[in-house]
Amino acid sequence: MSQEKSALGAVLGWLSSLKLTLVLFFALAAASLIGTLLPQEISLPELREHFSPAMASLINFLAFNDLYHSTWFRILLLLLCTNLVACTIERFPKTIRLLRRFETPFDSQKLSKFGLSSSIVAALPFERTQSVVESAVCETFGRMCRIESEPTGEIGPFCAVSETGRWSRLMVYMVHLSVLVVLVGAFAGSYLGFKGSMNLIEGETSDKVMLTEGESVTELPFALRCDKFEVSFYDTGAPKEFKSDLAVIQNGREVLKRSIIVNDPLTYEGITFYQASYGTYLKQAEIELTDPDSGKKIAMTLPFRQPVTIPGTNDQLMIAEYQEDLMRAGQAIELVYGKQGRQSSAKWILIDRPYHGNRIENYLVRVTKTDKAKFTGLQVKKDPGIWLVWAGFTLMTLAIGLTFYSSHRKLWVCIEPDKKRNKTVVTLAGRTSRNAQAFEEQFEALRSSLENRLKNPSDPL
Amino acid sequence: MTSSLLLGLTTFAYLLCTVLYLSGTIFQYKPLLGAGTISGVAALSMQTAGIGLRWVESYRLGYGHAPLSNMYESLVFASWAIMIIYLVFEWRVGQRALGVFPALFSFLAMAYASFSKDVDSKILPLVPALKSNWLIAHVMTCFLGYAAFAVSFGLSLLYLLRIRFPQNPNPRSGFVALLPSASQLEWFSYQMVLFGFLWLSVGIITGSIWANSAWGTYWSWDPKETWSLITWFIYAALLHARNLQGWKGPRVAWLSMIGFGCVLFTYFGVNFLLSGLHSYAR
Repeated sequence: MSQEKSALGAVLGWLSSLKLTLVLFFALAAASLIGTLLPQEISLPELREHFSPAMASLINFLAFNDLYHSTWFRILLLLLCTNLVACTIERFPKTIRLLRRFETPFDSQKLSKFGLSSSIVAALPFERTQSVVESAVCETFGRMCRIESEPTGEIGPFCAVSETGRWSRLMVYMVHLSVLVVLVGAFAGSYLGFKGSMNLIEGETSDKVMLTEGESVTELPFALRCDKFEVSFYDTGAPKEFKSDLAVIQNGREVLKRSIIVNDPLTYEGITFYQASYGTYLKQAEIELTDPDSGKKIAMTLPFRQPVTIPGTNDQLMIAEYQEDLMRAGQAIELVYGKQGRQSSAKWILIDRPYHGNRIENYLVRVTKTDKAKFTGLQVKKDPGIWLVWAGFTLMTLAIGLTFYSSHRKLWVCIEPDKKRNKTVVTLAGRTSRNAQAFEEQFEALRSSLENRLKNPSDPL
Repeated sequence: MTSSLLLGLTTFAYLLCTVLYLSGTIFQYKPLLGAGTISGVAALSMQTAGIGLRWVESYRLGYGHAPLSNMYESLVFASWAIMIIYLVFEWRVGQRALGVFPALFSFLAMAYASFSKDVDSKILPLVPALKSNWLIAHVMTCFLGYAAFAVSFGLSLLYLLRIRFPQNPNPRSGFVALLPSASQLEWFSYQMVLFGFLWLSVGIITGSIWANSAWGTYWSWDPKETWSLITWFIYAALLHARNLQGWKGPRVAWLSMIGFGCVLFTYFGVNFLLSGLHSYAR
C-alpha cells in the first residue's frame, strides 16, 4: 500500500515540479522550431517530391509535416497545462495561509533579526511617538494602512503591523489561469467552430463555405450575396483597398447589408466574414484543338469545371483550374482529358504565351477567348471560443504587469518606553515579496523621516 | 530639414555615443561616460524628431501613416527603443558603465537601416492588411520587448565578463573596473528580462488580435508567429529557472543570450532565411 502511495506521490511530485516546467518549455520551443524548418501541412506524396522516400516516410511518421496539430505536440501542451494545474494546487494553500491575517506575536528583539530592520531612539514621550509613527507609516503605505495593535495593559510595548498589496501574491496564479483560459478557448474554437473560405462573384449568392481542413463544404443557415466588389490602387501600383458590398439573406429576406474591407469584417449569427483577397474568375474559355496528324481544327467552348464532349469523339475535356499568373508565365488553365468518364491526363495550358507544351493527349491547344469576372475572396470563421481567448489575453496582460510590478509589503513596528533614559525606542522591520530595491528605498525614506520627526521635541503634529 | 537627414545624423551620433561609452569604460575615465550619456540623449532627441518628421512627411505625400510599417521604420524604432530603455535604466540605477552595448546596438540598427541595400527607406502607402490600429500597437509593443531583451543581452554579457574577475575591482582590470558587482548585474539583467517579457507578451497578443481582424485567424503557426512564441518560451523558461537550484547566475545569463538570439531570428532570420523554404509548400 505504501509502495503504491509513494509511486503516486512521486508522479504527482514530478508533475508539479518546476523542472518539468523547464523541460516542457524547452521541448515546446524545440518542437516549434522544427516546424518552421520543414514545410507544414504537406501530404506524403508532396513530401516525396522534395525529400528521399526514406526521409519523406520518416517525416510523415513523426508527423513533422503537420507538427502543430500532431498528437505528440498536443500531448506536450496538455502536459504543460497539467503541470500548471498541479503546481497551482501544490502552492496555492501556502499562499492563502500567507494572506490570512495571522500574526505570531513579536517583540523588538525579533524584529531586529529581520533582513531589513532599523532602530530609532526617540526623544519624544511614548504617546507622542506612537502617534508620529502611526501617521508616518500611514503616509508611506498610503490609504492601505491598517495598523492592528495587540491589547496591552498599560503603557507597555506597542506592536503593530501594516501591510499593503496582499492581493499581489495572487497575481502569479492569475497569469497561469489566463494561459489555461486561452488554451481552452483555442481548443473550443477548433473543435466547435470551423474555418473556411468563400469566393463570391459580383452578384452571386451562396450559403456554402469551403472548409480549410478536409476540403469539405459546409452549409450556412443563411446566404451571403456580393452586390459589388471594388479594388483600388495607389499611384505606386500597390493595392489601396478591397471593398465588398455584402448582403445577408435569411428565409428569403435581406436581413443585413454592409460593406466590408480588410480589418473590418462582418459578423452574423456567430459567423464572421473577412475580406481576405480577390481574384479573377474564369466563367468560360473558347479553345481551338488542332490534330497535328490531320491538321483538323476543332473549336470548343468550355464552361469552367464542366466536362464537354469533344465533337466526333467519345472523349471529354474540362477546365479544372484557372490561374491568373502561373509561375510568372501569365494566365493559364488546367485542362483535364477524360476517356470514358475517367481522367486520363491533365495539363496546364498557357493562355498568353505561345508554348510548345500547350498540348493535351494528341492535340495542340490554343486558347482563343476567355470570359472572366471578378470575385471577392472571403475568409469565413465560426469561433465559439474566441471570447474566452480574448478574456484570457486581457487577463494575461493585466496579470503579467501586476505580477512583476506589484508586491506584498509588510512593515512591523514595536514602540517601547526606555524608562532609564526617559526615551522611547522604535524598532522597524520590513519585508516584501518582490522589488526588493524599491522597497528598501521606501523603508529608508520612512526611517529617515521618522528619525527627523522623533528627535525634535517641538515637532508639531 | 528632412527626416532622412535627421535620421542619418542620428546614425553617426550613436556611433559617437558608443565610442564615448567604450573609451570611458576602458580608460576608466568617468567624464567620458558622462559625455556618452549626453550624446545618447542628444541622439535620441534627434531621432525622435526624425521619426516625427517622417510621420508628417507621409501625410504630405498623401498616404499618411505611423512610421512603423516596414523594415526600415521598424529598425529605426528598434534603435530608438533600445536607447530610451537604456537611458531610463541608466538614470534609475545610476550606472553609466553599462552603455556600450545598448549604444552599439542602436548604432548597428540605424547603420543597417541606412546603408543596407536590402532595406528600402522610401515612404510607402499602407496595403489593406496593414491598416489597423492594432498593428501599430503590435509593432510598438513587440519592439519595446525586443529592445529590452537587447539591453538584457548586453547586461548578461557584462555579467559573464564580470564573474571572471574577483569581487573587488582590480584597478588594472580595465574594462571591468567600472562595472557594478556581478550580483547587481544579474539583478539588472533579470529586471530587464521581466520588462521585455511583459512587452513581448502584449506584442504577441496584439499581433493575434490584428491577425484575427485581417485574416480571421489569431494564430496560424506562421514562421514569424512561431518564432516569437519560441522566444517567449525561452524567456518564460528563464523567469522560472531563476528559482531553481543551480540555475541562477551563469546559466540564466546564457539563456538570456540564447533568448536574444531567438529575438534576432524572429526579426531577421524568418524574413531572410526561412521564406525560401516555404515557397514550394503552398
